[in-house]
Amino acid sequence: MNAVRPVRTGEQVVTPEPLITIKSAAKVYGQNRGLSPLSLGINAGERVALVGPSGSGKTTLLRLLAGSLVADGGAGAVRIDGRAPASLRPGPELAGLVGIVSQRFDLVPHLPALHNVLAGRLGYWSLARSVASLVWPLERRAARDALAQVGLADKINERPAHLSGGEQQRVAIARMMMQSPLVVLADEPVASLDPARAEEVMELLVGLTAAQNRTLIASLHTASLIRRHFTRVIGLRESRLQFDLPGEQLTDGILGELYDLGAGEDMEPLAGLAARDG
Amino acid sequence: MRQRLETWLTGPRLLTLGIVGALAWSLSRVEWQQPIAHTGGGAAALQVLLALFPPELSGEFLRICVVASWHTMAYAVAGMSLAVLLGLPLGVLASGVLAERQSAGRRVAAASVRLLLAAMRSVHELVWALLFVAAVGLSPMAAILAMAIPYAGILGRIYAELLQDVPSEPIAALKTTGASPLRVLLYGYLPMALPDLLSYTFYRLECGIRAAAIMSFVGIDGIGFQIELSLADLLFRQVWTLLIFLVALVVAVDWWSTRVRRSLAY
Repeated sequence: MNAVRPVRTGEQVVTPEPLITIKSAAKVYGQNRGLSPLSLGINAGERVALVGPSGSGKTTLLRLLAGSLVADGGAGAVRIDGRAPASLRPGPELAGLVGIVSQRFDLVPHLPALHNVLAGRLGYWSLARSVASLVWPLERRAARDALAQVGLADKINERPAHLSGGEQQRVAIARMMMQSPLVVLADEPVASLDPARAEEVMELLVGLTAAQNRTLIASLHTASLIRRHFTRVIGLRESRLQFDLPGEQLTDGILGELYDLGAGEDMEPLAGLAARDG
Repeated sequence: MRQRLETWLTGPRLLTLGIVGALAWSLSRVEWQQPIAHTGGGAAALQVLLALFPPELSGEFLRICVVASWHTMAYAVAGMSLAVLLGLPLGVLASGVLAERQSAGRRVAAASVRLLLAAMRSVHELVWALLFVAAVGLSPMAAILAMAIPYAGILGRIYAELLQDVPSEPIAALKTTGASPLRVLLYGYLPMALPDLLSYTFYRLECGIRAAAIMSFVGIDGIGFQIELSLADLLFRQVWTLLIFLVALVVAVDWWSTRVRRSLAY
């Protein structure tokens, strides 16, 4: 496989081909269209926001990128760094390629924050290391650093049940940092958080992926967050691409129109956002 | 009319009709002129009940009870340990959580393990004991194996269900870290199912004590063996003492399991 890797020349990073290529990827679930044939290229280091009402195909697109879904045309329709995530077996190659942070219920409630963060290393560890680490946590220092970076150094032994929603999401981000994949996906990472917490978590997610020079693709609904943090915004509606703009060009009008024409389920958060932005 | 009858007579309804018919037939065969219960039974039961008081509490007999309880507990723990060692891997295989992706082969494999578990638990431990006695003779090993096999079948089936009932979001998140199914089992399924797995295993240990107590006829010592001896000598006061010890064992295991579960609460 001739993987296309970014070549560093002086100051600039030159990519001969986009890091992520999506070639007419489509997904149909029974009678429902998850995603109509979609083609996209995303370069290394871009921060892409996905917007659109519920059922517009955002989650389907993210799952195709994560490799947990296979496009109808075959796994090859989605390639990251020349490799098709859906055709990779679990292991270091997949772990290093792509990872996902989702709404909030994705920590293991029975394990302390430390083990939840260390789970980010499972794709790289041998089975013996994985077993040993359950009893004597390995790479403790790296896990502590990751938790410190998300401001939770003192919560290392807490179980998720004792953490607030925002703190749980930050533990999930620390786990993602331990995994450190080329492409970081986030499925509505701030949907269940209040606006102040949402801003904090988004700042962390964007800051840390930028610091590691990773590519970020996140679905979210808040225009102000998108303008501030994302270089590109892709609008989806009824499983089709509606617009593809630079992040700062997203106006509340464009977003409102996208949601207005949709199923209308997401109007409430949008109304709140318009009030906050005004 | 006939067509309506045909649509009404579905499988479950036919089965219900059959059972009701069999019940009616069996009632018709009862000889109602004869008294159903043994006439002197009530008086005899009262006699046995009164004979139980007070329980035998002599030092010598209590020593026998302690040793018998110790043996019963030891057989129960040995049988259960073997059952857990067999049941956990079989339960994991039957649950299908180790499958990377769904495929026909995987489904057949999981179904065959489920069939094996069903075969193991559909034969009662006493029947297994008879088979093992025939095979290896009267020995403690026969009793332990006889208990371990059906219990492993029960544990494996319940373990498989508990693993399948674990919340799916954390599991999906672990899979996206590139972790293999075995690692997801270690960091997701097992920690999340552990309190329920332990709780059920302790409950089964209580049942195991009961089973070990009645294994005496295979030739192992224990509470059941002592009860048999006392009954043979019509020493009902001793039977009462032995039953108290049996209840005490089960209560002790219950208390132990509560302590363990409390320490795991999150």
